[in-house]
Amino acid sequence: MKFETNAKLTAVLLAIQATPLTSTSETNVQGCYISDLLSDVLAHAQPGMLWATVQIHRNVVSVAATKDIPAVLFTCGRKPDANVIAEAEEEGITLLVTPLTTYEAAGKLWQAGLHE
Amino acid sequence: MVSAGDARKITIAQVLVYELRVRDAMSKPPITALPSDSLREIQKLMKRHKISGVPIQLGTKLLGIVTIEDIITALDQGHIDDLAEKRMAQGVITIRDHFSLVRAVAEFERHGFGRFPVVDSADRLVGVLTRGDITNCLMHQLEKRAEEAIAFEAAALASRAGDDLARRIVIRAPVRTGDYDSAGKVSQRLRQVLRERGIDPDVRRRAAIVAYEAETNIIIHSLGGEVTVAVDSDKVVIDATDVGPGIEDVNQAMQEGWSTAGRLPRELGFGAGMGLPNMKKCSDVFEIKSGNGQTTLVHSEVFLRKAASTP
Repeated sequence: MKFETNAKLTAVLLAIQATPLTSTSETNVQGCYISDLLSDVLAHAQPGMLWATVQIHRNVVSVAATKDIPAVLFTCGRKPDANVIAEAEEEGITLLVTPLTTYEAAGKLWQAGLHE
Repeated sequence: MVSAGDARKITIAQVLVYELRVRDAMSKPPITALPSDSLREIQKLMKRHKISGVPIQLGTKLLGIVTIEDIITALDQGHIDDLAEKRMAQGVITIRDHFSLVRAVAEFERHGFGRFPVVDSADRLVGVLTRGDITNCLMHQLEKRAEEAIAFEAAALASRAGDDLARRIVIRAPVRTGDYDSAGKVSQRLRQVLRERGIDPDVRRRAAIVAYEAETNIIIHSLGGEVTVAVDSDKVVIDATDVGPGIEDVNQAMQEGWSTAGRLPRELGFGAGMGLPNMKKCSDVFEIKSGNGQTTLVHSEVFLRKAASTP
């Protein structure tokens, strides 16, 4: 399915068979950044983007919060610990998990229109 | 003699009674009538202006006064069409406009009149004073003082709030080697403070990135250290210090992609070789001092500006 660039997260979930780990109501994302290097995300991701990564450490939440990234997508079915999820809830960051690889997820997100 | 204790018991109303003058309270200009006006005309004048006494004046000379009591008597005894000059009270007792209200109150007590014509120092009639005028004046002045006091309180509160915003906030935290779980604690607090102060989001992110990278650098590379963040009214100052082992080649460390991070931090997503370059890029002032076997000192300043849309 297609959705607008400023996509409702529910549409993103459908496109990549993702399940939310946190409450996701009305979160919007604009574009996506993919990296497993935290400093790289700090340097190059834009605020408001979806961030896809295989990293599930709590520092992902810190980096997302620092960079005003509203949603993080964990690929390859990797799920973070409950305390990481709790921290994300506290920071108001949506966490998602998809069984797809980062490459597959990226392809489907692009196809679905999540690009500028 | 009044002791300090007694003085404190004097109410603001008492102060006002001494402070205020007859000219502050009197009704002015005076509503007057001519000696050739009939009592009936004067009665209409009283009704129209809602007053109970009318000085009778010819030119600048005060001849007498006709009061509501005179009108009632005239109606009762059927001489309401008589002229004022025939029925007015003569030899009227006046009060000076520069008298204090407390003296005016004493004059009312002494004479038992309902009103006084008020004359200035040249004996010109300038107004009429009733007991009601005194009460109204005091109430009005009390209200004014109360409003001033409230405004003063509000201004003092606002100024204290302003001081809070301008106050320097210092966040200082020790950072331990390999403590990846604590990374970002200082940065998180800094983000909160900057958000509360309505700082521009871009500036907030840059300052938070510098603090975060400073924390992770100490965790990954050092033997332990400390990060201090000071939020001033115009800038965030971030100082990171550690106890070694120092950076052998600072120029090399400042290049993107160059990293000495070990396997574990790399697996966690650290060690991209971008920490120091990121810090420099996000800073308005950036200094680093280190050397093999030395402590490393990183100093960064990020200049603050308010978000344009902040109300």
